[in-house]
This record gives sequence, C-alpha cells and structure tokens, in this order.
Amino acid sequence: MRPLETLTYEESGEIATVTLSRRGHGNRINVRMVQDLGAVCDHLEDHSQAKIVVFRGAGKVFSDGVDFADFHPDRPIDIHGFNKWEKINVRLERLPKVTVALVDGAAVGGGFQLALIADVRIATSRATFSLPEVRMGFLPGMATYRLAKYVGLGHARRIMLSGEEVTAAKALELGLIDEINDDLDAGLAACVESFGTVHPVTVQLARRLLNESFADSFENAIGHFLAAQHRAVTQTAFLETLKRAHQEEG
Amino acid sequence: MLANRPRILSVGTSTPPNGYSQQDLIDLAKVEDPRIRALFTASHIERRYFYLPESTPEGLKEETQGELLEKHLKGGLEIGSQSVERCLEPLGLGPKDIDYLACITTTGFMAPGFTAHLMKHMGFRQNCSRVDVVGMGCNAGLNGLNPVASWAMSNPGKNALMVSIEVCSAAYVFDNSMRTAIVNSLFGDGSAAALLRADNRDEPMFAPRVLGFESHIIPEAIHAMRYDWDDDSGKFSFFLDREIPYVVGQNAETPIGNLLKRFGLRRRHISHWIIHSGGKKVVDAMKYNLGITDHDVRHTQSVLRDYGNVSSGSFLFSYERLMNEGTVRRGDYGVMITMGPGSTIETALLRW
Repeated sequence: MRPLETLTYEESGEIATVTLSRRGHGNRINVRMVQDLGAVCDHLEDHSQAKIVVFRGAGKVFSDGVDFADFHPDRPIDIHGFNKWEKINVRLERLPKVTVALVDGAAVGGGFQLALIADVRIATSRATFSLPEVRMGFLPGMATYRLAKYVGLGHARRIMLSGEEVTAAKALELGLIDEINDDLDAGLAACVESFGTVHPVTVQLARRLLNESFADSFENAIGHFLAAQHRAVTQTAFLETLKRAHQEEG
Repeated sequence: MLANRPRILSVGTSTPPNGYSQQDLIDLAKVEDPRIRALFTASHIERRYFYLPESTPEGLKEETQGELLEKHLKGGLEIGSQSVERCLEPLGLGPKDIDYLACITTTGFMAPGFTAHLMKHMGFRQNCSRVDVVGMGCNAGLNGLNPVASWAMSNPGKNALMVSIEVCSAAYVFDNSMRTAIVNSLFGDGSAAALLRADNRDEPMFAPRVLGFESHIIPEAIHAMRYDWDDDSGKFSFFLDREIPYVVGQNAETPIGNLLKRFGLRRRHISHWIIHSGGKKVVDAMKYNLGITDHDVRHTQSVLRDYGNVSSGSFLFSYERLMNEGTVRRGDYGVMITMGPGSTIETALLRW
C-alpha cells in the first residue's frame, strides 16, 4: 500500500483497523483522505485476508465532517469531486468483509455517512451524530439515500433538515446505532465473537440484497435472490456446512 | 504492444419492420394454456420484431422446415444488408471497400452461407475474403469477432466487417409445450454489423481497440442449450435448460478473471459492461456473480426489453446504445460478455 497521510491502517489476524487520523483537524475529510481511503480499498479488495474491517477516529472525535480547506469560494466547485467521495463509500459498503464503525465523540457530516455504510455501529455514551450540511447550504451526500432506511422518513427529515446533534442514547433508540459501550475494544471483541466465521461471499450477497430491498419490486427481488442463492450454495462454505450436518446425523 | 490492435470503428443494427408486444403474440398465436400465457406476460420483454407467418382464425399458419429456411435467407438478407448499410454509412464506406467479411448465424443452415448471399445481394468485391460462423448460438458474436480482429490486425489498414444475422422466427416451433414456449417468449429477429480496422490513422476517431479475448466452455453442460432435430414436429427446435442461466453466471468469474489478469486489471477498472441480453435470469446471475450493478447492465436490460434476445448480435445492440449515450471517455475499459450453447462464455476486453 502506498503511504497514507490522513489514516492509519493496521491488520491483525482477521481484523483490519482503519483510523481516521488528522489530529488538530478533527479527523476532517479532505481530498487526500478520499485518496487514502481508495488505497485502503485497493489493499482490502486485492490483498488483505482480513474478514472484519473496523473504522474509528483518532483522539476524542470520530470525524468533524468535510474539510472546507480544499474548497475555494473563488474557484468553481467540481461536482466530480463529490462523486469520488460517494464512489469510495460504495466500495467500502460492498467489501467482502464485515464492517464495524466504532464511534467516540462527534460523527459529523461525512463522518456520520461513513458510520452509515458500516454493517455494525457501536458508540460510546458521549458520541454524537449530526448532519449540518443542509443548514450550511449543501447536501449530506448519499446519507440522503441511506439515513431514512435506518430511522424512517420522519426522523431522517428532522435530523437532516435541522442539523440537530443526536446523542448516543437517542441514536440507540432510533436504531441508528446498535450498541452503546464506553469500552469500544470490548464492544468490538464481543461483536467479532458474535459474528463467528465470516463467509465473505455470503456476507456480500446478503448485504446487497438487503440494501436493494427498499428499492425493488418483489418480482425483481426474488429473481435477484435466486441468482444470489445459487452463487452462495455453490461456494465451499455451504458445502462444508452440508458435510458437517451429514456427519452429525451419521 | 497494443498499438496494432484493431478498433471497432462503427456498429449498425437492424430488425424486421414489424414489432409485436407479448400480448400481440398471445393473441396472434391463439395461446390458450394459462401457463404459457403467464410465461409470455411475466417476461421482461415489451417488444420483439419478427417475420411472422400469416395469422388465421386458428392461430399462426404453420410453416414447414423448408418455408422456415426460406424465411431465414430472405429475412436475413433484408435485415443483414440494412445493418451493414447503417454500419458503413457513417464511415463513408460501401460494400466494395470491404476486404474481409464474416457472417454469424444459427437460425438456419444453408450452403453457400450468408457471406456469399450478402456479397451478391449488396455487391461486394469478388476478391473479398470471407468466413461463415454457423451454429454457435448466442455467444457466436464474440467467436466471430475474435478471428475478425485477428484478420484486421494482420492486415493493417484493411476493412474487416462482421455481420450477425439471426432470424429467430425461422427457428420457432409452435407445439403448445413449455419447452418451445420458453424459446418463443424470449427470442427476436435482429442483425448487427461491426467494422474493424487496425490503422494508426484512425487514432482521432472515438473508437475502442479490441485488446484481447478469453473463452470458457462448461463441458458438463453441453446439453443444457441446444438446437436439434425434433422428430415430432419435423423441425429443428431450440431447448433451454431451466438451471443453465445460473450455471453460466457461476462460471463467468473464471474467464473474466483470466482476461483481466492478462492485462493487469481488476473488475473495478472496468467502466462498461456490454453483456448479451440472454434473458432476465442470466442477467441476474451475471450481476450477482460478477458483483456488477443494475446500472452496469442498463443497456443489456433495455435491449432485452425492446428487442428480446436477438442471439449473436444482441451485445452489439447494447454496444450501440452505450456509444449513443455519450458517457464513455477516452481511456475507459469495457468488457464484452456473450453466453450460449456449449455451454459457452466468451469475453473480450476493449479500451477507448
């Protein structure tokens, strides 16, 4: 992997940890961080044996959102730049691994969006979630697509249009996060334990079908399910499950 | 190393003049069986184009194998010559400028083949080299493109033309069985032509180079798709196994992986997927096995919707839509995939 400036990346056994790390800048997301996340995706897709990917923030903040230092009021805004961020989100969301966001402190804007693309969100009691973009005159990326699926349309509209800060307790109540744990490492360990063996292909297929379930007709979805199921049951993971089941019976 | 690779300079497509909705066909063929009616109306096809026999109060008039073969030739020459004209016209070329002609068909057998008939019909030069690719099915467009590209590469500056001509309505059997209903609800008539040339003077043109091919056959599924003689109807009849779309999908990773590996690429580097519109099931299987999206198969799905499965030329209909869309940029990579009897998966890598 090429050198990272804005992130640290560690891999230990089955767990890869990506830490947003721009100390003094609130781990804000800048152009370089998007590039660094791209390099991490390359590594995760092409080389890494990790089965679980963890996102966290360095210090006492997850991420304070977008870094405006890369935007200049006297230069035209390149909409393609926004697309680069969304493409990275999609790549992270489709990894053949289980993804976990460990949130301590503020998850603002793009930080909140990163938490939304993870399969599991665990936060400390002092974590907060907010999307201030609309109040600032722009849009919070494809959180416009994802947020309502977690919390329902009513809560999503309020959270997005008001920019309110959602506390960890409230986030848990809304279904925005899965657990509050002030010991994030302990929370992660329990989460990893609960996942047991991760079958990368099956995880990827199940997640894709779930993500598509909000936007597809049942007739289309069942066709997709059958195609995905055929792929799943022809993988070694399922064949081994079958063998074990027969041994136990025999 | 890749500088001598030929480019696809132009593509033209054509169908018979008359289009039919699935309901039109149910009405014309007087389909009564509710299972067959449901099969027609549930498919993801809105319109197909055919040469249909005359409609009688009892349904469509039955055609003999001889009449079907005649339709294959006559209809094929009509749509084939149209697609050739549409392919050559934007380049300011005519039949006399063509140095190599390949015709692809599966919907009828005859000797001499379509190349000889098309040359006479359109007035090609008598010394034009030619080859007929016959009986290879829906995947055959890429089986044809491979030697056409090789010929173009070894004859720089010369014009090589590939023409797929499929008159699927000349391969229909109406016997009220589910076997033939599956086929009759899916395939449509269509022709597509592509002009290839390896010439560095074409550099200013916005046309992709064909970088390479990779084939894959699944020998244990040799009977899963077949066009063979049916004694009961006294005709050739096409058969499609129910499971084969998924088996093809499951195998697709192998040739795609091998093809991309040869060029040091990963699937994420591919901006455009040009996939044969084989049917809804096989397109779904491609999506979930290759991890590609609805957006990636938008043209594959819209071609299926608007024309049905036009067999070997189908992927060129999708290619034409992609080029007309205006989203391709210089440097983009594209992958072509066709699937058919064998069971076969053929792939090609393009770069604009």
